[in-house]
Amino acid sequence: MEWNAETLQYLSQCFLHTLSPQPEPRRRAESSLSEAADRPNYGLAVLRLVAEPSVDEQIRQAAAVNFKNHLKARWVPSNDPNAGSTFSPILDPEKDQIKALIVSLMLSSTPRIQSQLSEALAVIGKHDFPKSWPTLLPELISSLQKAAQSSDYASINGILGTANSIFKKFRYQYKTNDLLLDLKYCLDNFAAPLLEIFLKTASLIDSTAAAPGGGSPATLRPLFESQRLCCRIFFSLNFQELPEFFEDHMREWMGEFRKYLTTNYPSLESSSDGLALVDELRAAVCENISLYMEKNEEEFQGYLNEFASAVWSLLTNVSQSSSRDKLAVTAMKFLTTVSTSVHHTLFATEGVLPQICQSIVIPNVRLRDEDEELFEMNYIEFIRRDMEGSDLDTRRRIACELLKGIATNYKKQVIDIVSVQIQNLLSSFAANPSANWKDKDCAIYLVVSLATKKAGGTSVSTDLVDVQSFFLSVIVPELQSQDVNGFPMLKAGSLKFFTMFRGLIQKPVAFQLFPDLIRFLGAESNVVHSYAASCIEKLLLVKDEGGKARYTSADITPVVPVLMNNLFNALKFPESEENQYIMKCILRVLAVADISSEIAGPCIVGLTSILNEVCKNPKNPIFNHYLFESVAILVRRACERDTSLISAFEASLFPSLQTILANDVTEFLPYAFQLLAQLVELNKPPISPSYMQIFVLLLSPDSWRRSSNVPALVRLLQAFLQKAPHEINQEGRLNQVLGIFNMLVSSGSTDEQGFYVLNTVIENLEYGVISPYMGNIWNVLFMRLQNNRTVKFQKSLVIFMSLFLVKHGAQNLVDTMNAVQANIFLVILEQFWIPNLKLITGAIELKLTAVASTRLICESPVLLDAAAARVWGKMLDSIVTLLSRPEQDRVEEEPEMPDIAENVGYTATFVKLYNAGKKEDDPLTDVKDPKQFLVASLTKLSAVTPGRYPQIINENLEPANQTALLQLCTTYNCQIV
Amino acid sequence: MADDSTASHRRDPIKSSVGNVAAQRRRQNAVTVGKERRESLVRAKRLCRVGATGDGDVPVEENDMMTDEEGFLLDAQTSSAVEELKSAVAYQGKGAMQKRVNALRELRRLLSKSEFPPVEAALKAGAIPLLVQCLSFGSPDEQLLEAAWCLTNIAAGKPEETKALLPALPLLVAHLGEKSSLPVAEQCAWALGNVAGEGEELRNVLLSQGALPPLARMMLPNKGSTVRTAAWALSNLIKGPDPKAATELIKVDGVLDAILRHLRKSDEELATEVAWVVVYLSALSNFATGVLVKSDVLQPLVERLATSNSLQLLIPVLRSLGNLVAGDSHTTSTVLIPGHEITYGVIKVLVKCLKSDHRVLKKEASWVLSNIAAGSIEHKQLIYSSEAVPLLLRLLSTAPFDIRKEVAYVLGNLCVAPTAGEGKPNLINEHLVSLVQRGCLSGFIDLIRSADIEAARLGLQFTELVLRGMPNGDGPKLVEQEDGIDAMERYQFHENEDLRNMANGLVDKYFGEDYGVNE
Repeated sequence: MEWNAETLQYLSQCFLHTLSPQPEPRRRAESSLSEAADRPNYGLAVLRLVAEPSVDEQIRQAAAVNFKNHLKARWVPSNDPNAGSTFSPILDPEKDQIKALIVSLMLSSTPRIQSQLSEALAVIGKHDFPKSWPTLLPELISSLQKAAQSSDYASINGILGTANSIFKKFRYQYKTNDLLLDLKYCLDNFAAPLLEIFLKTASLIDSTAAAPGGGSPATLRPLFESQRLCCRIFFSLNFQELPEFFEDHMREWMGEFRKYLTTNYPSLESSSDGLALVDELRAAVCENISLYMEKNEEEFQGYLNEFASAVWSLLTNVSQSSSRDKLAVTAMKFLTTVSTSVHHTLFATEGVLPQICQSIVIPNVRLRDEDEELFEMNYIEFIRRDMEGSDLDTRRRIACELLKGIATNYKKQVIDIVSVQIQNLLSSFAANPSANWKDKDCAIYLVVSLATKKAGGTSVSTDLVDVQSFFLSVIVPELQSQDVNGFPMLKAGSLKFFTMFRGLIQKPVAFQLFPDLIRFLGAESNVVHSYAASCIEKLLLVKDEGGKARYTSADITPVVPVLMNNLFNALKFPESEENQYIMKCILRVLAVADISSEIAGPCIVGLTSILNEVCKNPKNPIFNHYLFESVAILVRRACERDTSLISAFEASLFPSLQTILANDVTEFLPYAFQLLAQLVELNKPPISPSYMQIFVLLLSPDSWRRSSNVPALVRLLQAFLQKAPHEINQEGRLNQVLGIFNMLVSSGSTDEQGFYVLNTVIENLEYGVISPYMGNIWNVLFMRLQNNRTVKFQKSLVIFMSLFLVKHGAQNLVDTMNAVQANIFLVILEQFWIPNLKLITGAIELKLTAVASTRLICESPVLLDAAAARVWGKMLDSIVTLLSRPEQDRVEEEPEMPDIAENVGYTATFVKLYNAGKKEDDPLTDVKDPKQFLVASLTKLSAVTPGRYPQIINENLEPANQTALLQLCTTYNCQIV
Repeated sequence: MADDSTASHRRDPIKSSVGNVAAQRRRQNAVTVGKERRESLVRAKRLCRVGATGDGDVPVEENDMMTDEEGFLLDAQTSSAVEELKSAVAYQGKGAMQKRVNALRELRRLLSKSEFPPVEAALKAGAIPLLVQCLSFGSPDEQLLEAAWCLTNIAAGKPEETKALLPALPLLVAHLGEKSSLPVAEQCAWALGNVAGEGEELRNVLLSQGALPPLARMMLPNKGSTVRTAAWALSNLIKGPDPKAATELIKVDGVLDAILRHLRKSDEELATEVAWVVVYLSALSNFATGVLVKSDVLQPLVERLATSNSLQLLIPVLRSLGNLVAGDSHTTSTVLIPGHEITYGVIKVLVKCLKSDHRVLKKEASWVLSNIAAGSIEHKQLIYSSEAVPLLLRLLSTAPFDIRKEVAYVLGNLCVAPTAGEGKPNLINEHLVSLVQRGCLSGFIDLIRSADIEAARLGLQFTELVLRGMPNGDGPKLVEQEDGIDAMERYQFHENEDLRNMANGLVDKYFGEDYGVNE
């Protein structure tokens, strides 16, 4: 794409149209742009457009966004086969020009465009910096110095922002020499200018803040932003180890750091966003000193006392305020780091612990307005944080972390103090429950959060309180409260407590509360009915010593009808239509309860109606997965008791399954095929004709083209082949199946799926049925071998031949192949089987091919012929390699062919339904150990003609393999004579 | 000789799949961004206040605190001393030589008078070209000595002040030769040592000007002071990061013998300087490491560690030992064989260092042990049954972070058997069980919580061993008791993909809800 007036005009028009509210011109513009993006120098042209002052600002903004995305996709195109279609990469000359332009353009542009270009620059930096972009850092530094001279903070912050994003990699990559070289380069160049600008800005802040009224917020804002960026860069550059420059200038840095923690800036802090800005700087400082405290405690210890007291008094203020989360969290993290370090004695002083608990921990654990809002407005997010460990950065959680940290060295003191606090909170609640309910919530939260996690996901134990009596006196009254909608957060906390400590609550106590739990499924609060469902679900998983389930079907059967009823009703609450906690509970109950037909009936009705609903627009994959699992387990367990139920299930499920198939609901196809396979397997032959309609679908090449469908289709095909072999062989259906195989195997991207089909046929049908087709099958395979022989294909071929051999005998294998072309068997053997055998991976595949190859050299007349001695030896050599060497020594990674999903454009992936599943088939159950099979077969064979085979072995096997073979013989006490 | 691609042995120390605990030797990273940890006595640059040969005639003023006025006065005196020197150099008449020497001596006195010599004033007044002139061939020793002394103290200044010596370097190098008197040669070596201490760029200049061979030869005799200065200058000169100089040094005839001799027999001060030479030789050059290992150098190193209490000496000796163990597998496979007396000696001195109060010694001793523990089963058993284990266990729970991390590598290595391939290493159950019973697990779980990603990885790897290897399936219970689940769950969304996968994998595998368990 050449840069001229015409291009400018064209691109401007396109970008203008992309902003159009009308879909028609917008789509046209978008597609023109994505077409143009494939042309060389497109990125450069867009960048120039962004820089063109004569062009309207909004067009340039749109172009800047487009430019950034263009770079993301094409600077280094992903070679991940699952990443979607590949883009043509940007060529080096264009890259060089972009790199030459972008820094100065970014700095001279308006803030919105600047932020886009800064991101674009970070994209480039991620791949090219520093080795392939040696001019970047010097350019940034000289621009920084120039901007600093004129105190141009728009530019300074642009540069610092860019530096911050390109240095971030030092925060999470492993310390390798390459990384350290990059880091050293950045330090050598950037450490000094960074300190310089940091100190300059610091003194500007000081002088501005010293003015009457504390200086104008407009002047201070960019300065604070600048200091924050400096702190983040400090964090990146110091992350791996303490650099010499920073050690030498620690005093300067720490001096300013401390100032920001201890000084107030009233002119900024009087507004909430101004306060947030200062707090962000303070939080960044806290992260830096935490890093030093943890990793460079020796060098830092001179500053420790002053920082500890600064952070402490800061926290005492911050804890009283309901916003300021980030600062509270980072500050508490710093104290936590101190508490677990060698300097923990700071906490040993009389009175310190109670004060921390009183003025820092408790205020941060208390519910705040934000928590209440989240509880009501976004129950899913609330649960994720409250129950599922996504609360790593919430004040409540971090306050408890601080207590845990202190308890590392002062366990008894912490337990004593917290126990007292909990008692105080509970008495305050008792004094006036409706006013002080948050105190009780706080007490419950403390107990739960300070507990130790146990296996099984979410169970816990604690030393803090006596769980039994706390449960009885504090939790049970809430659970027995008749109003399921009163004080929902307290109810949720109590249900959570029950769930977490479920292992410690004795069965009779818990059992008595079952009806209450079921009642809470009817609570209006989404969190409360979700927690009730979750609690029931988890209780049903509790195991006693010895692994036996504590709650059995006998325990719950009496309540199942009302339980199921309430569960299905709970799915009708607004926003709980696809509530995964409830669906999971349904699944668990169906797994435990006795499934009588009285239960099965309403359940299948309920589940299918939900299924029909979600088919319209599948949204929540977890919910949907549990839904299909529920159907599968219901079908399985009900039919186990009463096989006659199958037809009722078929009647309910078929319409839904047909909808999925007919409307091509991509996400659900794998599930549908698995359910169908399950139904087919439960049927007694002869199979109902309605299934044969579905079989037609199975023969649609499109179904097979999607890799996510294939495992499920194979399973369905297997089910059909096993249950209805005769039907398959009628009306030319087998021919159609093989047609599918033919189509799939001919293309490099689907050949694996083709082999799945073929292997299923070969494994499940009698030889007499398939023999008429074998000539055709070989022809297809040889043709493919001639046209496009990838390693993957050759390996699949070896596996297929092996399967054929173990199922139908070596003679049939040799004969059917040679029938296509005389003596082709030996050619294939030498050129493909022997060299590819040692590349086979996977336990079942390895055993299969090893055993088949062994049988070939021990049974097949072609190979036992004296003329074939050399081939015999080479084959054995390959078998020994396969069996004696670890996989990584035999197999070299080959670049994988792109996945077929990519070509078709579907993202659905195969998810196995546990409850509709069956074990992976091992076609060779009678052979346990392929090594033993090999030496035993060889021993038997050699005994017939003593002296013959040792010589062949000696002449044809690699020395290492001769040794390995000898070792195998010794191991299994066999001898080749 | 093919030698010294630094990349070859300093690769990423541990493969990153779960299970491959540090069962490999770990050399310290070739690239460092941190400050060089030498102790104050062996600073890279040194001021010469009392003459190198001990005949200084300036009374050293103990009180170094200078007031501004005094500083100002000193600067003024220095400027005029340089002026004086200028006229003395220009003067060609009778007594010219004495006049020059007097002027030089005055300047040298001023430059030696305080901890903060008036280098800036001297440079501003134009001292360098005059001093270079005074170094010209054929000048009397006294003049050479004074000029070199002045340059020594100028070079001890700030980086740009050191760089000002560039025009003087060829002559300083030239005066190192055998034809010079010892005091002159030594003073020149001192000046050059300061220059070399400045940085890589000046080191390369000196190396290209041939400074190394004559300095190396100065190490050969048994003259204490000269050898000490030369060794110190050499240790600065071969600091790299290019390993070429180190390789070149060990190849100079007689150097190896001199190193061994000085390590065995010299006083502690000299041995310290020589030990620093060994530190850099063994840190940088594979070739030199190989030569040293085969030369029986371990014996005197171990003896020094056993007998000395001088921290200044112990640090470089211990680090040399560590470098030799980490740098050449020959050290553990053929020299430090369990059963040999030297091996017990090494373990004994390392135990001594672990017991010391000094954190550098504890840290480095742990590092050396971690590398020995990466050796054969016999090595692991030897350490396991030594006095080191109780010390290590205590350090793991009480020491500062950097020491804990090193200790964790030792204990981790004790629990895995050497493996040829990748994959998960085999456990040494006896060691694992006993170390876990003695309470080491909580230390490793603390490491998982650390911000340091290497330490976190080590913690996860050890946790994997415990989960997999403790008998009766006790692993998960133990990890759970130490709040390990919580520690691992912190990595659920970590930016480091490897750690994230490791932690999530372990939680899923050992603590996952057994979904669909009710079969």
